Amino acid sequence: MRILYVNNHGGGFADFINVEESTNIEKLFKQKMPHENSADYLIRVNRQPVPKDYVLKENDRVTITPTKIDGAACCLKQHTA
Amino acid sequence: MKKYKNKIRLVNMLLDALCGLKKAKSQHLQGKLEEFSHKCTEAAKESHIFYAAVEKNWFRAAEKIKTRVNRNLNDFSYHLQQFKNMADSDETKSPKLAVIFADLMQIEDEFGELNFDLKAQTVSVTTDPIALDDISFGSFEIRLSINEMSKLYTDSPYKVIALEPNPAGSDSCVTHPHVSSEKLCEGDGHVAIRKAIEQGRLCDFFMMVANILQTYNPDSPYVSLDDWEGISCYDCGYTVAGDECYYCEDCERDYCSQCSTYCQICDTTICLGCSFECPDCEQPVCQRCTVTCSECEETVCKDCVTEEGLCKQCEEQRKENSDEEQKEESTEVSKTVPAVQSDSVGQTIVHA
Repeated sequence: MRILYVNNHGGGFADFINVEESTNIEKLFKQKMPHENSADYLIRVNRQPVPKDYVLKENDRVTITPTKIDGAACCLKQHTA
Repeated sequence: MKKYKNKIRLVNMLLDALCGLKKAKSQHLQGKLEEFSHKCTEAAKESHIFYAAVEKNWFRAAEKIKTRVNRNLNDFSYHLQQFKNMADSDETKSPKLAVIFADLMQIEDEFGELNFDLKAQTVSVTTDPIALDDISFGSFEIRLSINEMSKLYTDSPYKVIALEPNPAGSDSCVTHPHVSSEKLCEGDGHVAIRKAIEQGRLCDFFMMVANILQTYNPDSPYVSLDDWEGISCYDCGYTVAGDECYYCEDCERDYCSQCSTYCQICDTTICLGCSFECPDCEQPVCQRCTVTCSECEETVCKDCVTEEGLCKQCEEQRKENSDEEQKEESTEVSKTVPAVQSDSVGQTIVHA
């Protein structure tokens, strides 16, 4: 099954990925971010908050955004990615 | 209905801006390619010169060229990497109108309100009041300029505006540990924010900026939270607590204890730059407590002049002069007195 997966952590990934049928959002988070705590992220499916046992469906749009992002005091660097 | 109409106009505006951004990205890539090819041309030139030098047995010249090439290698690899990064990045697909529209609706859900000005071509949200370590910074407006999105690779197309500013004591431009002059230093969010703008994911962009504002990175702030309430010394830059700083009444600036002093005559606080050290008593005084000696015209403090307006040196000089004059006068008097003593002085009448 294909879903749109947007991960705003680090480099910012946004593309379609394949997941197994009956995968819930908690499982997907653990698969994609095994060392992270889900409490530190805003997780949205189809732009809405969902319970952790929400079972993903074909073409769902999953967005994961960290709630804590370290800023800095540097000058603007040129885009490199 | 008008609300939706305006939103659709906004979406169209954003789609145009994204198209412009795509072009800007290609131009940026072209610029990197030109830089890279320029470096290649330079390397080819060096190669010819090096060959000629070796052929003519000019080993010293060849050695110099080798050193220069070696020095340029770092620069070369940097340009190569820059070009490679740009060329490697995925092609950004332009989002559809419905996707951006849905994004705008999501922004309203996440932030409560979406503000946009079609004339000024700006779209903005307001964050909740932000407090870090018990210091309140108030709410911030995150304002994206649609017509400046094409500057994404050279400048920041958005501003972070403090609505109830509580700037750092040492720098009024710093309204948040990571915001200076309304520009956010994105730190770890830099790449993800740029990707979100490139791909037209505006809700993700606003959420990431808001989340950076909610986070304090003690390793790299413009002004640390520990120094937030303090005032920066105008002279040495050291941050001191508000009640420990000294205000120079002459230049009207704040200083730390090391860079300030007080006038020994009137007790006014002054900075070291505005203070004057009296050459006579060597004490610091303010400019108002100085006078010019009427004799030598040297500036001294008020305490070091006589009633006649003379400095100590001139006064001493005058004393010495008058003493000498007195001595001279007495010597002259003694010279003019006759050798014969006057009547009734040491004389006795002897009768025959």
